[in-house]
Amino acid sequence: MKENANPYKPEIVTIEDTWQETYGDRAIKTFKVVLDDEEARENWSHRPGQCAMIGVLGVGESMISISCSPTEGKFLRFSVMRAGKVTQALHELEPGDKMTVRGPYGNSFPVDEWKGKNILTIGGGIGQAPLRPIIEYVKANRADYKNLSLIYGARTSADLCFKSEFEALNDRDDINYHLSIDIEEEGWPHYVGFVPSLLMEVNPSPENTIAITCGPPVMINFVLQNLKQLNFTDEQIYTTLENRMKCGIGKCGRCNVAHLYVCKDGPVFSYATLKSIPEAFA
Amino acid sequence: MERMKIGKEKFGDFLTALDKQLYAPQKVGETLRFVPVTPENKLDLEFSNTTVPPKSVLFPQVETLYQYELGKTDLNLPDGGEERVLVGVRPCDARAMAIVDNLFSWDIDDPYYLAKREKTTVIGLACSEPGMNCFCTSVGGGPASTEGLDLLLTDLGEVFLLQSLTEKGKRLCQEAEGTLEQATEEEVTSAEKLHQEAAGKIVRNIDTGGISEKLPELWDSSLWQDVSEACLGCGTCTFLCPTCHCFDIQDEAEGLEGRRCRVWDSCMFSEYTLHASGHNPRPTRRERTRNRVNHKYSYFVTKFERTACVGCGRCINLCPVNIDILNILAEVIKEAI
Amino acid sequence: MVDLEKLRTVARETISRDDVKYLIGWRQGTYGFRVSPCFIKEPGEAEQLIFSPLCTNNLASYLIVMEKLPLPRGEQPDTRKVAVMVKGCDSRAVVQQLIEQGTKREELYIIGCPCEGVLDLKKVEAKFPHILDPVTVQWGKDKIIFQLPEGVEEVPREEVLAQKCLDCRDPNPVIADITLGEGVQAWGNGEYQDVQELEAKGAEERWSFWEDKFNSCIRCYSCRNVCPMCYCKDCVLDRLNPSWVYRSSNVSENTAFHLSRAFHLAGRCVECGECERVCPVDIPLMKLNKKLAKEVEEKYGYRPGLDPEAKPLQSSYRPDDKEDFIL
Repeated sequence: MKENANPYKPEIVTIEDTWQETYGDRAIKTFKVVLDDEEARENWSHRPGQCAMIGVLGVGESMISISCSPTEGKFLRFSVMRAGKVTQALHELEPGDKMTVRGPYGNSFPVDEWKGKNILTIGGGIGQAPLRPIIEYVKANRADYKNLSLIYGARTSADLCFKSEFEALNDRDDINYHLSIDIEEEGWPHYVGFVPSLLMEVNPSPENTIAITCGPPVMINFVLQNLKQLNFTDEQIYTTLENRMKCGIGKCGRCNVAHLYVCKDGPVFSYATLKSIPEAFA
Repeated sequence: MERMKIGKEKFGDFLTALDKQLYAPQKVGETLRFVPVTPENKLDLEFSNTTVPPKSVLFPQVETLYQYELGKTDLNLPDGGEERVLVGVRPCDARAMAIVDNLFSWDIDDPYYLAKREKTTVIGLACSEPGMNCFCTSVGGGPASTEGLDLLLTDLGEVFLLQSLTEKGKRLCQEAEGTLEQATEEEVTSAEKLHQEAAGKIVRNIDTGGISEKLPELWDSSLWQDVSEACLGCGTCTFLCPTCHCFDIQDEAEGLEGRRCRVWDSCMFSEYTLHASGHNPRPTRRERTRNRVNHKYSYFVTKFERTACVGCGRCINLCPVNIDILNILAEVIKEAI
Repeated sequence: MVDLEKLRTVARETISRDDVKYLIGWRQGTYGFRVSPCFIKEPGEAEQLIFSPLCTNNLASYLIVMEKLPLPRGEQPDTRKVAVMVKGCDSRAVVQQLIEQGTKREELYIIGCPCEGVLDLKKVEAKFPHILDPVTVQWGKDKIIFQLPEGVEEVPREEVLAQKCLDCRDPNPVIADITLGEGVQAWGNGEYQDVQELEAKGAEERWSFWEDKFNSCIRCYSCRNVCPMCYCKDCVLDRLNPSWVYRSSNVSENTAFHLSRAFHLAGRCVECGECERVCPVDIPLMKLNKKLAKEVEEKYGYRPGLDPEAKPLQSSYRPDDKEDFIL
């Protein structure tokens, strides 16, 4: 991002590819986009965990996590759940259409600090999207990290995202994954139950491990409780917070959680930071 | 600090000599706010304070961020505008600008606000008759506080005493040199006396010491329910607050073209933090009131070491249900003991 | 005249009842002539209650402002009554809310207070500036009695009463479970004097008048929030999808805002005047609302909020209605 650029001015991007991850009322669609401006495309750099304000001119913008790692290439990926006015407009876009993108915003997962450690991601539903860049980054720098384990669940098998990517993990032996769905389904070979329970089943050791969790607030609360039960320290637990956002640059005031702005001091927070802030768990 | 004076009858000449766009309090509808004026306009500087604070000049209710045309990749950005002079800003509102500057230049510069701020010179007017609900002295200000001002006028009856406070102020005086005279020692002393008397006329006081530390401890207190029960959730306190700066970004589309603009928003509105999923982390007025008071007196202090309240009293005067910030602070202090 | 002791006794008795959650009344404010709505939950708190010309707030607004949060599993909603003190105009708001089924009669305990008019704070603060200590104010015969720090002042009522009170036709509550004090003689003549004055002007002059006022609107939503009849969960003026009225403030959008609200209130507005009172930039909203109230009264012979058994105006049809079709 240019130094003195107008931070409200977005880049125009073109959609290279899109596909549905899930269907229904709260459908999730993934977009792979490329910045139109060559210089901007070359200069773009982001870190796992950062977000961008994406939108449609004439409709508005939404803060969505960048769900690809910078190691994957000169493109951006966003997985968007259809929920309101802007996401509805985004879902109507197809390859070749234009979007606006502003960013990258926020802090990032301290992936460099985590080198030499075991990484455990615990995701629920669309919460897997902000975790994906960690996974891809670790894959691209595999030797720098020890074990990589993924725990991921959704309400039903139809609500799971990135299914093909999980299946591809079967071809490698250096990443474990555990999937779950909330209710019994015919032909489902994996765990049935909520993600926090699956976490207890997996029973990961906190030894030299970082746990990162994203998902619905209810799931996060129980996952945090369970991680503490498994003796993870506060500094070993990371999560992302989300809030309604408009400017993305700490000016409009609405994303604050106590004195922290989710768009600038977050979205990544360690549990050590959050536990003394009651509003973080609203 | 240079002290000069100007006869009130010559004040119009002074303003003409400045050759910049002037903003002064004028009636818009039924109430006063800062609007563009010409030196010929009759300037009434006998007011207590404007209803809408001068933040509306630097941070207007609506501001176009850019205009677009679908199919084109150029976005038309508006420029910083012309050089302007605000005349008659009360010291509390000027301090508020200095406070809000912190936020608009935090890490990433807000070009719209800062470009205007850069091109704005602020001529303040010291208060000789503070309003009944003014409490600037309780939050580090005063009726003749100079923070945020480039020039300060004191009304001495026949003349204004003029204090030049900054480089910008000095330049302005140079432009209008012909209309100014050196102030006498007597006049300077007279002004200082007026300032002190004005401070003494402030009737509502509160000791705000330690409040920023006390507030987080009272997070779960029942006082928030009590003080917010009468709240209507309107935007009056926030829109008229000189330090409030929250905004919404909206797209206004007319066919294939349109604009993205920002508009004032209020943390007291119920949909301020409403997620598209339907979840609202601040679902009732209790949480929103608690957040507002904490933001002004605690969070802003943590981030910028400034209380985000200048004691102008507008929220007290205009809250339709008499939710009184001084009352809330008194409850906080009482409970924290 | 409402006897304060009687008021407080009734309040204590009411709040002591098992079937009453809380009582909404007025108490002395934090300075001068201010009064604040208060929510009494314990009999001991009833001491604060007052009823005087200062009690401008329409407490019926609180019957629809209260947030209803989702309940924890297994918990039943608390359907105990809310006791509310109402003046004449306020009681009409309560009746209109009942007509529209915005509230339920069995969830209300209405304490009626016949009213001889409330003050216009702007007029009073202009007349008696800089009064910090709380002031006691009472109704006298055709005058208002102020107990100021320097002494007692008596002022003719026309000088300090709110405009809406000077034209009042309903000073006595039209619905109540208990009434405090004697009924008062109505004095309004129903001629809509101030509306007629504006109507007499030409279209250009009228437009210029409203353009000047709407231009000053800062879109604070105070008028909408205070209105006891504005309780749509999905208010058209909040909606962004589609955006009926943009959030930006300019004459065009503000006119749309205010006219939309006025039309949505036609046949429903009980002329309590709160919208005009709370407006921080003093837009004379009552002129708009009264114009529509006048139209409704002239065309349909209907005044909202008087008869709890009545049907809402725009959703009722009578065989003898003037038009033979809904358009």
